[in-house]
Amino acid sequence: MTKVDIFSGFLGAGKTTLIKKLIDEAYGDEQLVLIENEFGEIGIDGGFLKDTGVKINEMNSGCICCTLVGDFGRALNQVIADYAPDRILIEPSGVGKLSDVIIAVQDLHNDQIQLNGFTTVVDATLCTMYMENFGEFYENQVANASSIILSRTQDMSEEEIEACVRTLRAINKEAAIVTTPWDQISGARILETMEQKKTLSAELDKLREEAYAEEAAHAHEHGHDHEHHHGHDHEHGHDHHDHEHEHEHHHDHDHEHHHHEHEHHHHHHADEVFQDVGEETARKYTKEQIQQALEGLEDEAACGMVLRAKGIVEGTDGRWIHFDYVPGKPEVRSGSAEITGRICVIGTDLKDAHVRALFGLEQEA
Amino acid sequence: MEIPVYLFTGFLGAGKTSFIQEVLEGEDFNAGERTLLLLCETGKEKYDPAQFARPNVYIETVKKESDLTRERLEEMQAEHMIERAVVEYNGMWMLETLFRAMPQEWIIYQEVMFADAKTFLMYNQNMRQQAFDKMKTAELVVFNRFDRSYDKNEFHKIVRVANRKSQILYEYGPDDVEADNIPDPLPYDMSAPEIDIKEEYYAEWYRDINENPQNYDGKRLKVKGRVAMAGDLPKGKFAFGRHVMTCCVQDIQFAGLACHYEEDEDLKTGDWVEIKAKVKVEPEEVYEGDTGPVLYCYSVAPCAPAEPEVATF
Repeated sequence: MTKVDIFSGFLGAGKTTLIKKLIDEAYGDEQLVLIENEFGEIGIDGGFLKDTGVKINEMNSGCICCTLVGDFGRALNQVIADYAPDRILIEPSGVGKLSDVIIAVQDLHNDQIQLNGFTTVVDATLCTMYMENFGEFYENQVANASSIILSRTQDMSEEEIEACVRTLRAINKEAAIVTTPWDQISGARILETMEQKKTLSAELDKLREEAYAEEAAHAHEHGHDHEHHHGHDHEHGHDHHDHEHEHEHHHDHDHEHHHHEHEHHHHHHADEVFQDVGEETARKYTKEQIQQALEGLEDEAACGMVLRAKGIVEGTDGRWIHFDYVPGKPEVRSGSAEITGRICVIGTDLKDAHVRALFGLEQEA
Repeated sequence: MEIPVYLFTGFLGAGKTSFIQEVLEGEDFNAGERTLLLLCETGKEKYDPAQFARPNVYIETVKKESDLTRERLEEMQAEHMIERAVVEYNGMWMLETLFRAMPQEWIIYQEVMFADAKTFLMYNQNMRQQAFDKMKTAELVVFNRFDRSYDKNEFHKIVRVANRKSQILYEYGPDDVEADNIPDPLPYDMSAPEIDIKEEYYAEWYRDINENPQNYDGKRLKVKGRVAMAGDLPKGKFAFGRHVMTCCVQDIQFAGLACHYEEDEDLKTGDWVEIKAKVKVEPEEVYEGDTGPVLYCYSVAPCAPAEPEVATF
């Protein structure tokens, strides 16, 4: 089985630099083949390739109209037949549409191929301008990416980075976005993100499970907590009752809904009980600010019942701050850099707006 | 009434805005004519209308290529009662979109392409179609941010493939501009008794003999190509040529000339032959009665195909 990773991004965004970093720091002993369809700024030279087992296969057709015509599929099948590599890195023309490349690979119906990651490298300093002027192909590269790696963020203010992330988020809600300057994170960490092993939603799920496990343990000890839940459920039932009055004819639906609620009691799906605030951010903080925010979480009247908080954010001094919170025990320390700042808060009856305000995050629209 | 259009092309960041700002600040170009400044791109540099020599400059923006329509341009023309238009075009859009959209009385007076010399070679390789499209019709090509360490020949050659007549300027810095005066000698000896066109120079020869047929009238030459027996050619005539690629695979065309050959050779379409011929410039049916170079062959001999078969510049 050969993993196929596609690296798109406009000319000069830094695709080749990223690939070099991944080869140096992430792919280890994997047998790699690089298929390039772009004449890049930084050539990956032959000498460098010999050390790494990378084979290079450059398609000689440098303009939009010539890309992806037949050649590409043939090149890919040939490479798999000849080398059976662990991984193929495809660097399509910087002015092609990512979706075209993905479709071209899928259309091969080659069962040796596992489409692995669609990574788009975006020069954060030029993102807004390119988005405005380049139109479709640029948007397509962003919209279809499974992860977006920002380059040149080291020269930007946090506000500028956030603005860039907002622009990207407007057309891609799902992709992991790496905002941290590349010299601060390892290629291995970037690869993890590209392979979706450590995304914000995965992180939130983990935190929820933790909180739920604890909650379940508490519930056994304290009947009171448990009853609180009953009350909560009851309220739902009540709302629903009102609803029923308005639409009396929806009997089947009601029935199903009751059934669902019934199940709810038994399974106690973590995400149905807890709310969360999860946010990726390029904002910089001082340890004191984080400490204060965590202390603020103690205020149940204002925040709701916060059960867990966890995060990694960039410090104003360039070092990274890690924090963990369980009620009464805020913990703030220094640690390694992350692909982007990340703040996760889990609790019951969580007051989203207040929690966001504590961390100086933008309010949800 | 004719509306003169001054068209400025080139990729994002090439220096279009700075240049347009500058010319509109000067009394020479801006004596107060009602001018539409049509922006199809919004780069880093911003316009400062307060600095324009005269008012009467109306700025309009078109953000999407599909919004660049005749209706839109006619609207702008009527609304501002313009006497002329200055267009800053989007580097990614093909010029045909603009040419199709222009109202009939809009006439291109001048077309200038700007390029950032630092990125031009890479952009040209990767966005060949977009670059070629702009070089093809530009009367002037300006390479901004040129460095004395760069090889002018490299830039010169790329422009010349697209356009033989355009002027080229290399800009090293403010008020430090050099005009291109690199001659374009033909890669074969025109004074030889039998001009020998090497196979790698087919495309250049083909273009030159069509642009300057009189230079070849009465000359003898030797050239390699393929036979094309177009259906209704009378006996003793055939078409001779090769496939030529100018920009990329999509524009490959058969570039051929009419040939006379009296010997009763068995010529088939697709055969590779080396011909020796005398050129006559004369009206020819194959050219729909127009005057053009016609090759009167005195030798047609089979030969090996050219390598590569498609001729390029």
